[in-house]
Amino acid sequence: MRRKKKISISLIILHIVMGVLSIIWIYPYVWLLLSSFKPSEEIFTRTIPTRLTIDHYKFILIMAGKMERPFVRALFNSIFISFTVTFSVVISSAFIGYALSRLEFKGRNAIVNFIIFQMLFPGFMFIVPLFVLIRALGLINTYSAVILPSLISAWGVFMFTQSYKSIPRDYIEAAKLDGANTFWIIMRLMMPLTRSTASIVGLFTFIGIWDNFMWPLIVIRDYNKMPLAVLLASFNHEYSSYVGPLLAASVIQTIPMVIIFLILRKYFLQGISLSLK
Amino acid sequence: MITRRRLKLRETLLGWQFSGIYLLYAAIFWGYPFVWMLILAFSKWNYFGSPRFIGFRNFTHMMQDSIFWRVFLNTMNFMAYFIPMVITAAFLFALALMKVRIFRTFFTLSFLVAYVSSGVGYSILFSNLFSETGPVNNLIYKFTGKTIPWFSDPQLALFSIALMVTWKFVGYYGLILFAGLQAIPKSLYEAAELDGANNWVKFWKITLPLVNPALTTVLVFAINLTFGIFTEPYMITGGGPMRRTLTFMMYMYTTAFQRMKPSYASTLAIATGLMSYGLVVLVRKLIEREVSLT
Repeated sequence: MRRKKKISISLIILHIVMGVLSIIWIYPYVWLLLSSFKPSEEIFTRTIPTRLTIDHYKFILIMAGKMERPFVRALFNSIFISFTVTFSVVISSAFIGYALSRLEFKGRNAIVNFIIFQMLFPGFMFIVPLFVLIRALGLINTYSAVILPSLISAWGVFMFTQSYKSIPRDYIEAAKLDGANTFWIIMRLMMPLTRSTASIVGLFTFIGIWDNFMWPLIVIRDYNKMPLAVLLASFNHEYSSYVGPLLAASVIQTIPMVIIFLILRKYFLQGISLSLK
Repeated sequence: MITRRRLKLRETLLGWQFSGIYLLYAAIFWGYPFVWMLILAFSKWNYFGSPRFIGFRNFTHMMQDSIFWRVFLNTMNFMAYFIPMVITAAFLFALALMKVRIFRTFFTLSFLVAYVSSGVGYSILFSNLFSETGPVNNLIYKFTGKTIPWFSDPQLALFSIALMVTWKFVGYYGLILFAGLQAIPKSLYEAAELDGANNWVKFWKITLPLVNPALTTVLVFAINLTFGIFTEPYMITGGGPMRRTLTFMMYMYTTAFQRMKPSYASTLAIATGLMSYGLVVLVRKLIEREVSLT
């Protein structure tokens, strides 16, 4: 009896400690969100503000545009770039992965090995020579400069190739007998069966491109074409004393990723082979 | 027979159609830059005219470049802070998650949501949170009467960045370790208990050896992350104070796009890639063990 009681006390303590740590871990987010609604003079002086204001959001969305820092436009730039790339990566990976896992042809294994070889090289090694290429193509300061180098991903193709292998051949044969063409097989049969792979590839691609900072910083200098991350960085560089608007803009930049993560969290956890309720 | 061969031919054609798209794309956006990277690393160029071949001179220059060695030391320094901190915290998090009975999803999500913070956004957030008048220093001032110069002290700045990167990644790494822990069969622990093993012995003899693949994964992730750090120092410290937070990525960036030496920047990129790859191989050799449950 005594032993059992002791264990339950240590369990209670563990839960309390974890609770406190969880709150510490979310605290920066809470502070950010709360501060973005505080009046400027209270951001650093009061924990609980006397009143809430949306002035900082107004400033960043309306005023900043007149200071040649068009945040609304940057937000749409980011959305446009991220969705285009995510869509393209998921679809192209689904099709190429199908060819590399479910079609028999000479040279297939060589291509798969080449993709694995490609993944050995970290992306940062290509930044300077990729800039040379984009410059030679005359694409500096265009959306294409950000979008084109990310349209197809070796990692995405690899993920789909691996997950398609678990789908029984009979399904595909049956679909073929029913007269289904390749397009139908991939979009209507393979993709739904590997929904978690599609979600993981989509989620990581979206987060990666939304959060990508160094590359657009290099290739885009026109304020009107900057994605949110770069415009926010340049604003921070020049107007670092505008703390309120900066925090409001940080909220705007962070929230889409948090929302998409919360929606797709089930697949994210599956991605690290977890089943949490 | 004929239809079979035709089907086979169609499959080959279709396979090459899809693969062809991939190979063409990879040739333009991977192969072409790859060749340029090698050319640049062995030549002198300033974006104009054609590159002039100079052999290994970029590499010998790098060996004598004092900034390169400063960056190298910074990176080692960062790893000495970051890796023990993040691995210990992630491991404790994973072990606690195994024991927790209620609110498991809440704990997981509150740690994991830090992982999806955006680089620029959380740099701005932390530079204000830890600023001279920020809430963290206010709290410390209340208790000690002093403030801590988190990002302006040369030695502390790197540690502060390691701290915020740890905040971001503990949840993610912890969950990878947690998945590894969950894969360990409960029966092993029960058998050990029958043999009279205490918690300490169980941890060292069962948990640690069997979680090895997950631990190796996390270590490799942490090493790769260290060599790729750019946004945090760029946003918060600009590489200072006294170049103590200058990273390889920042040095490569300023060399290529501010000092207009893309050739030397390519050399730096190759060196950085080789170093991170070498370290990953070394870590794998030292700690990776084959795990089999038979």
